[in-house]
Amino acid sequence: MALKAAVEEARRSSDSDPAEHLRHAIDHAAHLLPAQGPITVFIHHNTLHAFEAQRFEDAVRRGGEVFGCQPYLTEERYRTELGRGRIRFDGLRWVLRDDLADRADDQIVGLCTRLDLRLAMLQYPVWTGPAAELDYFLAETHALRRVRPDVSAAARGRFVAESRRWVMRDLRGRAGGPAWAGPLFRKFGAARIETWDDPTWEAFALEGLWAICLAGVAPLAPAAPPPAPPVRHRDLLVAAGAADPDLWVNDLLVRFCAAFLDQGVAHWPLPPCGEGEGLYRSFLRLYGEPGAPPAPWLAGLPAAARRLLDGNVSPLDAARESLDALGVPAAEWDEFLAATLLALRGWGGMVREIEARGDRVGHPIPAGSLVEFVAVRLLLDRLAAAHAAKADLGYTGPPAGLRGALRARLPAPPRPTAAQRAFPVFQLAQVLGWAPVELSRLTHGEWALLVSEVEAFTGVERRRVFHLAYERRFRTQTLDALVLHWKNLKDEGGRMKDEWTPEADPARGSSSILPPSSFQRPRFQVVTCLDEREESFRRHLEEVAPDCQTFGAAGFFNVPIYYRGADDAYFVPLCPIVLTPGHWVEEQPCDGHEHAHQKQTRTRKAYGAASKGFQVGTRSAAAGALLTGLFGSLAAVPLVARILFPRLAAKAGDWFGRSVFTRPATRLKLEREPGHTPAARNDSIGFTVPEMAERAARLLRDIGLVGGFSRFVFILGHGSDSLNNPHKSAYDCGACGGSPGAPNGRALAQILNDPRVRARVAADGVPIPDDTRFVGGYHNTCDDSVTLFDLDRVPDSHRAELGRARADFDAACERNAHERSRRFMSAPLDQTFADARLHVENRSQDLAQVRPELGHATNAVCVVGRRENTRGLFLDRRAFLTSYDPTQDDAAGGTLARLLGAAVPVCAGINLEYYFSHVDSQGYGCGTKLPHNVTGLVGVMDGAASDLRTGLPWQMVEIHEPVRLQFVVETTPEVIVGIMDRIPIVGTMIRNGWVQFAVQHPDTGEVRLYRDGVFEPYTPQADELPRAATSADWYRGWRDHLEFASIGTTTDG
Amino acid sequence: MPDLYASLIAHHSSLSAYLGAAVVALPAALVAVLGVASLAGRPLSERATARATSAATGFALLAAVGTFVLMLAADSRHVVIGFGEWVHIGHGDDEPHYHFAVKFVFDRLSVPFVALSLVLCGTIGAFAHRYMHREPGYNRFFVLYAFFTAGMVTTALAGTIETLFLGWELVGLSSALLVGFFHDRPAPVRNALRVWVVYRVSDAALLLAAVVLHHLSGEGDLDRLTGYHEGVDSEAWPFGRCPLTEVQALLVGALLLVAAAGKSALVPFSGWLPRAMEGPTPSSAVFYGALSVHLGAYLLLRTGPVFDASLVLSAAVVALGLTTAAYAALVGRVQTDIKSALSFASLTQVGLIVAEIGLGWRYIPLVHLLGHACLRTLQFVRAPSVIRDHHGIENALGGRAARTAGGGRLRARLYRFALERGHLDALLDRFVADPFVRLFRACTALEKRWTDAIAGRAPRPAAPASEPAEKFKQPA
Repeated sequence: MALKAAVEEARRSSDSDPAEHLRHAIDHAAHLLPAQGPITVFIHHNTLHAFEAQRFEDAVRRGGEVFGCQPYLTEERYRTELGRGRIRFDGLRWVLRDDLADRADDQIVGLCTRLDLRLAMLQYPVWTGPAAELDYFLAETHALRRVRPDVSAAARGRFVAESRRWVMRDLRGRAGGPAWAGPLFRKFGAARIETWDDPTWEAFALEGLWAICLAGVAPLAPAAPPPAPPVRHRDLLVAAGAADPDLWVNDLLVRFCAAFLDQGVAHWPLPPCGEGEGLYRSFLRLYGEPGAPPAPWLAGLPAAARRLLDGNVSPLDAARESLDALGVPAAEWDEFLAATLLALRGWGGMVREIEARGDRVGHPIPAGSLVEFVAVRLLLDRLAAAHAAKADLGYTGPPAGLRGALRARLPAPPRPTAAQRAFPVFQLAQVLGWAPVELSRLTHGEWALLVSEVEAFTGVERRRVFHLAYERRFRTQTLDALVLHWKNLKDEGGRMKDEWTPEADPARGSSSILPPSSFQRPRFQVVTCLDEREESFRRHLEEVAPDCQTFGAAGFFNVPIYYRGADDAYFVPLCPIVLTPGHWVEEQPCDGHEHAHQKQTRTRKAYGAASKGFQVGTRSAAAGALLTGLFGSLAAVPLVARILFPRLAAKAGDWFGRSVFTRPATRLKLEREPGHTPAARNDSIGFTVPEMAERAARLLRDIGLVGGFSRFVFILGHGSDSLNNPHKSAYDCGACGGSPGAPNGRALAQILNDPRVRARVAADGVPIPDDTRFVGGYHNTCDDSVTLFDLDRVPDSHRAELGRARADFDAACERNAHERSRRFMSAPLDQTFADARLHVENRSQDLAQVRPELGHATNAVCVVGRRENTRGLFLDRRAFLTSYDPTQDDAAGGTLARLLGAAVPVCAGINLEYYFSHVDSQGYGCGTKLPHNVTGLVGVMDGAASDLRTGLPWQMVEIHEPVRLQFVVETTPEVIVGIMDRIPIVGTMIRNGWVQFAVQHPDTGEVRLYRDGVFEPYTPQADELPRAATSADWYRGWRDHLEFASIGTTTDG
Repeated sequence: MPDLYASLIAHHSSLSAYLGAAVVALPAALVAVLGVASLAGRPLSERATARATSAATGFALLAAVGTFVLMLAADSRHVVIGFGEWVHIGHGDDEPHYHFAVKFVFDRLSVPFVALSLVLCGTIGAFAHRYMHREPGYNRFFVLYAFFTAGMVTTALAGTIETLFLGWELVGLSSALLVGFFHDRPAPVRNALRVWVVYRVSDAALLLAAVVLHHLSGEGDLDRLTGYHEGVDSEAWPFGRCPLTEVQALLVGALLLVAAAGKSALVPFSGWLPRAMEGPTPSSAVFYGALSVHLGAYLLLRTGPVFDASLVLSAAVVALGLTTAAYAALVGRVQTDIKSALSFASLTQVGLIVAEIGLGWRYIPLVHLLGHACLRTLQFVRAPSVIRDHHGIENALGGRAARTAGGGRLRARLYRFALERGHLDALLDRFVADPFVRLFRACTALEKRWTDAIAGRAPRPAAPASEPAEKFKQPA
């Protein structure tokens, strides 16, 4: 009975639900599409998110095959890094030995060990190429006359001498020698062999070597089987020499998708944009109008569209019909649909993203749009393939048979020739010093072994090993720095060696930047985002004001909100993308300023209407003629001013703005009236007091700020302000969903200043002294300025200290700008701090600047732990710094679990997006910014009709070093293993090697490194950390990445 | 001071000759400096390139303004800078039968246009210096940009149709190469080829016009065409009458109109304009927002009297201009990417400028052209800010911008027409390119048959499709 039911079940599901099957296949294929939403809300994510269930090395290889992209940097690039010492040769050897384990010392046919063979293949480029090119290379270059130039003179001498001895002793004048010897002797004139000079011998030996290699390889079995033929009709058609049907289909589909997704560039929206009219029906209506377009391949479109429309065929049925017509059986749907979707991956991905997250755009699209996209695509593919096959190849059979016919025409893929397989051995023999006589003695089986050994170490494998060595070098530097810095600071018991006191340090502000102890009250405390760009800001602040303390937390400060500023039209979510805010917060004019605010709103409305009218007018005919004719020439003034004097022009614009629009004082509406559920209505905006207290207390506990509060605590959100930058959102705070995090900092400060909140927080075990004031602020990471909010509410008793703190911020900003400027090639290295600030201000206001700042480039480390462990350590703006105090956490690491649950996916997402956009800028990234063209306010294209470009532009990732993020967490292996089991995303990312992971013991500072399931103890390679008095002393004059160093004069360790 | 003024007046002709020559020579010198350094394989540094570019355009602009001031001071409306006669075939010295001169003219048309060209080229050159920083093709961009500047100046000041053709070609060549600037991707190259083909059609028409003009009058001097006689200010631009007969004017004018239509992307050639957006933003801005897209209109302004001479021709110019304006205004309404939207907005105004020229106006289209070029360049260089501007306006207006809901079948049809950009490219492909290709294929087949017959061979099969090139690379 059970069996019968199962069969019944199987029959039912296969019979009645091919539609369901197709929907699944589309869903499945869609996972490969880029998961990047509209460019206005740029969320960094792992580009290969779809492959996260696999190990990193497998995923990059598989992803490379599926997307046609590079898995690692090029071999050439790694070899350059080897040449300049960024990769050490002993590191390479270590990695290779580790990789081969007990196979490393196996002898390869008695010539060398496997380790040596692979090392040689890494160190020396082993060239090969198409058969014809190789023939040319051998005939026209010195390949057969001179030993490779990268072989040392001694080795060359040995090679020639040994060959000469062998020839003179064993080959000359002997009958029955190898078959190649005779012709070669004739060619070189054996009669006068005694008079041959060195170059002649060298050439003779090389020709002999080449002949031996060829003879050895020739009888071997063919190499790996050829790849399977492509599944798409388009690929087969192009291979058969027909026109590329994707050119036609993509051209039309790009325009149509852009019109469908447009958020407000076009004056006319896509008709009919009524309810329930999705992509599919809009397309059919538009192209079902009588009158075929003149392009011949579209001749059948109107009839087909009308038939689908009149027959009320659903998108799924239409897609299935097309698949049947194209002759694709259900078994192939997954693969075929994936390949089809990837043909226009940017647009397909955007349809999917906007369909899934309609709250991120102004004009959402209906559910099921991706299926409709597939239905339209397949319909067009069908028409295009049929036309291309008929017009260019004369194929008139049924479309379903087209693939079969084309596969039959497909030329057999070329198999590697003997010369192609012999050439690597020929080169390796030179660099490894294998004498011709040794090779000539190899048996058939040994040749097979040798060649398979060489061929097994493929290009991708070599790059993988290179990459591991590349990462290893950096990992060693990082872990060494952390261990040595710990040793400098702390004694055996993990206590700070030298407690800082203001009295004990007369030279305050110049050299000593030891952290203040817990019993001395710091002058002020600052909480910033954990962003690695804040690392240098915090370091400079601590240098300028050694009696301050800094903390790092995710930049939404545990206040996830929908926020609307006083001048904003709508609410935006300010929290990590994985959260959905449950509360709304609004900026409102202060009491007594309502009138001014209303007046202000009216002025802005008039101004907005005028600029919109002008914008639309200049693009229309009649109004455009008037505007351009009468006022156009005046545009020359802003044009010239903005381009030649960006900063002054911006200042003039600001001045004008301020004189027209006066901003009335505002406050945040944070508190909800009791009894209302949160909503975007005025009485339902905000939190209740218990909600506020709970969020605030949690943040303070997370960062370990539970006592020793100073009189001022600043909470600084961050963002980046630049012009002409479609990717602006990618520079803003990632923890705020790609928006500036100023409101979150301001909100948290306002919450913590509320006495009712403080009472509750105190009851929760975090007593805040009455004289502590919280101040919210905003750090602009582009022009390096800090703005503080609600200063009018700071009591007079605190005024003087506030002034001092602001001066410190200002000085830290200047120094931060200076440190950043060393990475801008167009900024001189010898500028002063003040010059550097002007330089970055110029950048942020420059229309022509494609690198307003460098974003997260160079990020490579994430430290989760107490700041005292990293304070005074120059981390070169490469480290995310999350404050976490293990002494405040419970035994299972409840706080740490929460922190890592956010920090691992977010920081790794940023790091991996930079990794992939750097290793393949055209494929995974969006190429250079220069030809970018904003489309529909959702993304950028290259030129006027390309696929939507996802990923990061080259200008953002140019100076990035693609290494996987190195986590160093202050905890024990036991706690981490528990967390890895409890939180799947953390476990997956660590186990599959998407991040490198290490823990540092909270008491001893001992570091353990995660490798294949175990935390192995780490022994530092260096004894001492380099030192410099100030950060500026360490980085001045350098453009490149710098080693980590200890800053300030600490006690001798 | 009066002495200085008097001496300026006294020497103005030689002084303005020097200044005028400098306007032409400086961009040419820039081409030489950047070009020779590149040919020698030692391109200048980024900074030196930018300095040379701004110096050349800046001083050329000063010289142009100086010439203009001198012309105002001396109350002269037509200054000619001659670079000699290169071919002179004739019965006697005073009445050549056929001559070929290189000369440049400063008048009320060319001075504003050359000043506009230099202001925009200089400003956008400074923009590009920062925008193109660290781009591998930086030097190539500036070499082509120098060619473009030289071409614009040459075209603007040209006194003979051959000189004009020289500048016209430089502009076309540098434009096409800059459209294909990112030649590591196929799309820019494909689109550059398309731009180039349309430009060649337009060039051919201009060349034919030059030949016809020489045939009719023995010389290509534009003065002759516009009926200007040395020293007669009342015949200087915008006055002047064309000495050709109506039929001759119709012939020359029609050719000039085709040339202008190709260069200014008038209907039916409009399809190339959005395709030209493949290049870097600064070149798109200055070429298709401002200068080269107006070059057709400039040609019509320069040869205005020819069009006045024939009512049919004037009517054709007006019709072509209005058609283009209507077409571009409609198509521009549905463009969803900012660069296409701006390029069709540009085209709308170019159409109107052409129509104004057809109506016999001179100063109105000139002012319209100058204003439009400045404003559109500003809009183009600000194009990547569209997201920010859009949000700014939404915030000011206090809500999402409302969409004008479209209805009705007419609207749907217009929408599709606009979305498909009027099918102009498909129509040209099908009704112009395809017949050409078929004709040439037939010729090839015929030739092959002849040669086979002559050689006494059996007919050969067509050559197989060439194999895709493989690169020399390391094994995967």
